[in-house]
Amino acid sequence: MTLRTKTLTAALALTISATGFALAQEGTTTTVPMQPADAQEAPAEGTTFVATPAEEAAPVETAAEEPAAPEAEAEPAEVADDHGDADAEHADAGHDDAAEDHGDSHATAHIEDIDFSFEGPFGSYDQFQLQRGLQVYTEVCAACHGMKFVPIRALSDDGGPGLPEDQVRAYAGDLLPIVDAATGEERDRVSTDHFPTVSGMGMGPDLSLMAKARAGFHGPIGLGVNQFVNGIGGPEYIHAVLTSYTGEEKEQAGSVLYGNSAFPGGWISMPPPLSEDRVTYEDGTPATVDQMSTDMSAFLMWTAEPKMMDRKMVGLVAVLFLMVLSALLYLVNKRLWAPHKGKLKH
Amino acid sequence: MAGIPHDHYQPQTGFERWLHRRLPVAGLLYDTLVIPTPKNLNWMWIWGIVLTFCLALQIITGIVLVMHYTPHVDLAFASVEHIMRDVNGGYMLRYLHANGASLFFVAVYLHIFRSLYYGSYKAPREVTWIVGMLIYLLMMATAFMGYVLPWGQMSFWGATVITGLFGAIPGIGESLQTWLLGGPAVGNPTLNRFFSLHYLLPFVIAGLVIVHIWAFHTTGNNNPTGVEVRRGSKEEAQKDTLPFWPYFVIKDLLALTVIMVVFFAIVGFMPNYLGHPDNYIEANALATPAHIVPEWYFLPFYAILRAFDGDVWAVQLVQFLSFGIVDAKFFGVLAMFGAIIVMALVPWLDTSRVRSGRYRPQFKWWFWLLAVDFIVLMWVGAMPTEGPYPYIALLASTYWFAYFLIILPLLGVIEKPEQMPATIEEDFNAHYSAKATPAE
Repeated sequence: MTLRTKTLTAALALTISATGFALAQEGTTTTVPMQPADAQEAPAEGTTFVATPAEEAAPVETAAEEPAAPEAEAEPAEVADDHGDADAEHADAGHDDAAEDHGDSHATAHIEDIDFSFEGPFGSYDQFQLQRGLQVYTEVCAACHGMKFVPIRALSDDGGPGLPEDQVRAYAGDLLPIVDAATGEERDRVSTDHFPTVSGMGMGPDLSLMAKARAGFHGPIGLGVNQFVNGIGGPEYIHAVLTSYTGEEKEQAGSVLYGNSAFPGGWISMPPPLSEDRVTYEDGTPATVDQMSTDMSAFLMWTAEPKMMDRKMVGLVAVLFLMVLSALLYLVNKRLWAPHKGKLKH
Repeated sequence: MAGIPHDHYQPQTGFERWLHRRLPVAGLLYDTLVIPTPKNLNWMWIWGIVLTFCLALQIITGIVLVMHYTPHVDLAFASVEHIMRDVNGGYMLRYLHANGASLFFVAVYLHIFRSLYYGSYKAPREVTWIVGMLIYLLMMATAFMGYVLPWGQMSFWGATVITGLFGAIPGIGESLQTWLLGGPAVGNPTLNRFFSLHYLLPFVIAGLVIVHIWAFHTTGNNNPTGVEVRRGSKEEAQKDTLPFWPYFVIKDLLALTVIMVVFFAIVGFMPNYLGHPDNYIEANALATPAHIVPEWYFLPFYAILRAFDGDVWAVQLVQFLSFGIVDAKFFGVLAMFGAIIVMALVPWLDTSRVRSGRYRPQFKWWFWLLAVDFIVLMWVGAMPTEGPYPYIALLASTYWFAYFLIILPLLGVIEKPEQMPATIEEDFNAHYSAKATPAE
């Protein structure tokens, strides 16, 4: 338990969010489903917000979260049936009763494309979105997921969350302590260390590279066109998993599985981690499940590909330079060959 | 060098004469650069430069990557992430290297199909062709071993599947597989030897590239007409050719730059498009990925490997005739390597006396069907072995063999070729006729 408590302390330190603490604690006691409890507290606030790209994601929203859903997500029925292809996959899930609350079919393994700010040749990370994602990670995900490949100092890098260095140092100190490789003794984490490694019973996979290790889009028929147009879809997949809990549970071989229509096979061992207002965003953004999932997905894209901005810049400069060079070489080549092609007398 | 008559290097200054008597390196470079090149070469003749560039790019980025990479099962994956996150420009180095491999194979396939269409493999260029095939085989080996180094899930399971092919060889198979892996399964010894060989083979390739160039500089380039350069005198040869420098150097550089625009757009904006997400999961011997798919450039031959399963009557017949020694698995392995061997033997399988496909009306159809066949194989190689896909794979694999073993030998006999131009000059002037003044 020390591991969990320590993570929670860290969570507290970053954001001072009382509700976040309460819920994170509940989330770590793995097998107890928590939606019923917090779902009731939420709906009051869900209605006033603006400013998120969340609307399109509605169809993958699910019954379990729905009691708490704000208006933007409330009536997705008209789009939800577009993707009947997944019905067979979930035929055994016995989900009918769960879904009927809203007349909404959650049987959509289809992953919705999200218009992230970092997409496209000129796209860049939304610094504030990354900071919100970091908050969700710290208060919720960090309880069970490590990020062992991500150096903490990267939080202050340009193109990333861009936190001030003193804040990053304070954040590092609040994370789990680390065993120093040189001395063999436990010490506080510093910003040059990496995020903690979390492993063991009931813990989830490392999230450092999750956004590149999953594909949200496939096909059609193996041609790769969807990935060419929409990107590979790792962040979209993460968003879909976080928002596609069906509210069902089943026990299998001593562990509880949770119905999730975006997860391959339909059952996931991670209890629904997010619920309305699970965190309180410092910038006042309403913490809907959809908003938190979107922020978390963007944050994980950054942890997986922290140099994306630099890379796109290099790509852009290289492409422009090479286009100019191509044009010049075209003219040189034309001039060079002209006498031999009879187009120019010499 | 033998071949097309042209001006040779004449040392001018005292120092040049001094050096030339001791080491004629300037003369070698000069003769290589001014080699008379058929002036009617089209844009399919630029892939050689692209390939040379790819080899240089892969060696240079690779050498720098090695400075930061750790070939150990516990550290390899983390060291790649270290390159991506901590090394200055490391993310570019790695993405250039990974996508450079794809560009390398795009170029080599176009280069090979160019040769197949224009009959570049025919006498007297068989040695160039065979050396080229060796380079291609080494490229595949190098690419395969390079893909293992990041030690992701596809690295590990790809290595397991591919080395398993050697295990299918009757009798010696299992011992051979163990010897290749350095143990009973893919592990640290495997990673270490693959790393070593991945570093070694590109230099072997570089050596073979020199032989490849030497060979076709001896015979002279083929060209779209397949008509040989006239060699009676220097003046005659000059009517058919232009020196490589500057005419073809500039032309090739133009093509290379245009290709680089696309390449850098992919590296800069979608560097993981050609990769597989599973390879961002660290290798885990206890968790098999749902679909083990090789890199795209192996897919055509992977499709041939999988096409011949135990349900195919030919496989059953061979199994029966060989008293079970050649089972379905081994048959698949033989088919996969056989697909490359029949291609390597094409100089002796193609019986037509006409070199260029441009003047072979029936050949054209069969050739383009082969090109489509190759793409179909590439596509079906990535699909699961269920539904219609095994039948498509079998059909496409059969055509691959039929093209080389049946169609090419027969076509040479039954086909009536079209009228060819008498000289390269004639072909060139037909394209650029404006003022066909006597050249030079």
